[in-house]
Amino acid sequence: MRLIGLSLLLLAAGLFVSFGGDPLGAVLFRLDPGILNLAQAVVQRYLLPMLWDDVLLPVLEAPAFVAPAVLGGALSFFGWMRARG
Amino acid sequence: MHILKFRRFSLPESQVTPEALVFNRRQAMAVGAGMLAASPALAQQAGLPPAMRNTRYVPGRAITAEREVTTYNNFYEFGSHKTISAAAQRMPMRPWTVKVEGMVENPRDYGIEDLLARMPLEERVYRLRCVEAWAMVVPWTGFPLSALMAEVKPLSSARYVVFQTATLPSVMPGLRQSWYPWPYTEGCTIAEAANELSFMVVGAYGKLLPPQNGGPIRFHQPWKYGFKAGKSIVTIRLTDQRPVSFWEKIQSQEYGFWANVNPAVPHPRWSQAQERMLGTGETVPTLLFNGYGEFVADLYTNLQRERLWA
Repeated sequence: MRLIGLSLLLLAAGLFVSFGGDPLGAVLFRLDPGILNLAQAVVQRYLLPMLWDDVLLPVLEAPAFVAPAVLGGALSFFGWMRARG
Repeated sequence: MHILKFRRFSLPESQVTPEALVFNRRQAMAVGAGMLAASPALAQQAGLPPAMRNTRYVPGRAITAEREVTTYNNFYEFGSHKTISAAAQRMPMRPWTVKVEGMVENPRDYGIEDLLARMPLEERVYRLRCVEAWAMVVPWTGFPLSALMAEVKPLSSARYVVFQTATLPSVMPGLRQSWYPWPYTEGCTIAEAANELSFMVVGAYGKLLPPQNGGPIRFHQPWKYGFKAGKSIVTIRLTDQRPVSFWEKIQSQEYGFWANVNPAVPHPRWSQAQERMLGTGETVPTLLFNGYGEFVADLYTNLQRERLWA
């Protein structure tokens, strides 16, 4: 768990260095312009429209490094807690 | 000899509405007018001037139920799903201004009411074919784009007409996706714009065009896939530069500039050979140019090197 957490923190650092504060959505759009449209169509048409607007869109609007940083930080913390016993 | 000649508007005396019914109807209309004055939403619905149906354009299919057409919508600014009609009601329909600019002799801003009053409104029943392989038949009210062009007078250097949709971040959640190339932009050639089928739509089913269908004003070229028809238009620009449309910038392999309907050219992810009719669910064969080839095929005779079908 700690290894995954540290990997995500490294990824977050890399994203920060490469893209600064650019939103995750903008970074993904630059890498593949069609990927988010497809993802949105699948989520909103086959799952739940609000899942995109209220859950995924805020993540995509945040700077690209935030999601891996938060997730990596949490995993590292819980991994450290578990290691302490 | 007295020759009786039947005219299309002739009616036998037996079909004349009795006087009492006529006057009762006037009373009912007076009551209705009072209700409209009290309700802004209803008053807005009353704002579409009467328009005669143009019988030159025969859809060859039954008109789709109004409820289906007004509750199953593609309007990406409100989401990628089909049930955006409730969210779209938050879009203010008045005041609304359409700016006509660029390579024209008479650029000007039209208030929507001004357009409704000035343009030659008529009703046309057109087929609409979505690139997603569903279709509908709608009685649109509107005016030929050529009527608007006649007022603004395109310069001889103008080659394309570009349409831009309103950007209203406070009511359009899709605009939060700042990485997309908003505003929604579409366009056509000046020759396509001049074609008699090119239609500016301000109403449907005899009512003002509702927001979810692109109100208060949208474009429609029935021989093209529906995404070519810009909704809730605020800018019409004439230019000598071919526009790169919204979807072209995002997925050019799937959504091109021309996007003429052709059952023989599949979308990269599905066949275009057939279409599902909204409402009935019936599957019917798709027609070349959505069945409007006799009106538009000539536009493309010298463009065979272009990617005309996607």
